[in-house]
Amino acid sequence: MRSFPAAAPNEAHDATRSSRADSKAPASVATGAAVGNEAKREEPSGGASAGAGTAGMPNASGLARPGERFAGPVASVAPAAPAKSATSAAVSSRAPAAERVILHVDIDAFFAAIEQRLDPRLAGKPVIVGAGVIASCSYEARRFGLRAGMALSEAKRRCPAAVILEGHAQIYRCFAEEIFGRCRAFSPAIETYLDEAYCDLSGTTRLHGDPVDQAARLKREILEATGLTVTCGLGPNRMLSKLAGKTVKPNGLARVFAAEAEEFLTSRPIEQLAGVGHAHAKTLRSMNLRTIGELRALSAEALEALFGAPGRLLHGRCRGHDTAPVHEREVPVSISRETSFHRDTADRLEIEGMLEYLASRACRAARELELTARTVSVRLGYSDGQGAERARTLSAASDVDPAVIEAARGLLAALFTRRVALHRVGLTLSNFHAAGAAQGLLFEEREAGRRNALYRTFDRVRGAYGHGVLVSGQALHLRGRLEEDRHGFRLRTPSLTK
Amino acid sequence: MRSELLDEAVTVRAEFQGGVVTPVAFRRRGHEHRVTRVNARWIDRVPRHPHFYFSVTDESGGVYQLQLQSGDLLWWLDAVMVED
Repeated sequence: MRSFPAAAPNEAHDATRSSRADSKAPASVATGAAVGNEAKREEPSGGASAGAGTAGMPNASGLARPGERFAGPVASVAPAAPAKSATSAAVSSRAPAAERVILHVDIDAFFAAIEQRLDPRLAGKPVIVGAGVIASCSYEARRFGLRAGMALSEAKRRCPAAVILEGHAQIYRCFAEEIFGRCRAFSPAIETYLDEAYCDLSGTTRLHGDPVDQAARLKREILEATGLTVTCGLGPNRMLSKLAGKTVKPNGLARVFAAEAEEFLTSRPIEQLAGVGHAHAKTLRSMNLRTIGELRALSAEALEALFGAPGRLLHGRCRGHDTAPVHEREVPVSISRETSFHRDTADRLEIEGMLEYLASRACRAARELELTARTVSVRLGYSDGQGAERARTLSAASDVDPAVIEAARGLLAALFTRRVALHRVGLTLSNFHAAGAAQGLLFEEREAGRRNALYRTFDRVRGAYGHGVLVSGQALHLRGRLEEDRHGFRLRTPSLTK
Repeated sequence: MRSELLDEAVTVRAEFQGGVVTPVAFRRRGHEHRVTRVNARWIDRVPRHPHFYFSVTDESGGVYQLQLQSGDLLWWLDAVMVED
């Protein structure tokens, strides 16, 4: 595997020398190189400069030894014109012409990094974004052992100095769209998630240049435009590209070739294999299988017997095979809106008001995507940690608030049966159809058309003046209880479209 | 650290150069705050006319969030970041 901290033209030559020398080294050897301005102060040996950090300090020949961390965190990527570096040539010559190239882009400490950008007083401080649990934390916070998913009470115990913020979901969405928009300029197919994206760069070399150069350029453009750093991993498939990036976080760039896949995976912990969650890992560890390499001892049949059909996938994945395509998900799997209450509550008016508000937000998102949902599900989280969830299929797919709200109210009535206050409530729309694709009702078409036109007018008004300008029905009970801005009520822990 | 909502229409002096808008100063309650640094900028493209947002630091070290609504070219002072 090779790591390529985004190279400025000057340093590219040094990196090239490393790369060439590297070609005789074991497959897991990585190059170390400086970044940006650091390149000009680079040692003649082509080794890593201060910018690459001591953790990734290479040996005298400029190469990291096998087993060493591949590349240290780098402070910044200086803007530089893309260069057709010899590094790229050396790399390309190793890759078969038809090999798939997938780029995985991961935004480093996404929410926390944005908060540090928004308020420079937070720079260098341990920052946590989340309510109840950590949604994202800065690298300064991670030094205290904090990580996403950890309870805030535990986080406060481990790092009392941490700055805890509830977050700004609307702002994060804008930054993510900016970053993914830049990814689209490089790749004809990208698949996006909240803070990461897979880009298929296969066949783009003649148009955009070598994949490593493309990734370096993308990193620079993102940094210039947003001030955020991303980690890029390149590989012959999704799984390997993501794992390659994982070895050089934060702000790294690494590539794994198909020929190196098995060796690259061999010593990695079993949990890092795509498809191995907590439960599978526990089963495998109980069988004394701790690394991905050790998993290869099991036949496809044995894995299928253990885990069902996904077991066969694991058989291929532990050998570096992953055929999952990168596809633009124009139609999301689901649209979720969920929030914790500022205070646990059993007040039905408040709960129904919140559910109605979440339903109206989800419907608006569906209308913007020109989708109608057939399934509505409601999730409740009680203050004692227990949860409940139920879904209902609508008689006809819909994107208008009343149909969804009616289903949601029915689900809430069926679910909220315990005499325990609620901590959170959420609503999900799924099973989407393209709006207008459904067969209309003969005698209700006029009414349905008027209703659709009404809600589209609402959307236009809200688009111009903010969602909060129109609040309907039970959601009015939230007035005075929650803060509002032009985006609507300020929710404690908003969730986004998946 | 938390953001306190202000949601006030404000007068802003800004530079429009090279297709980029940069706030230079804004007036609030009769006092002009000179922008010493634009910490971050982002665009919300969901509305029909994009909204341009800026996190800025003024000469006294205060951190504010400004918004320019491109539809009507109105500036809003959205929030101020306050230390707890």
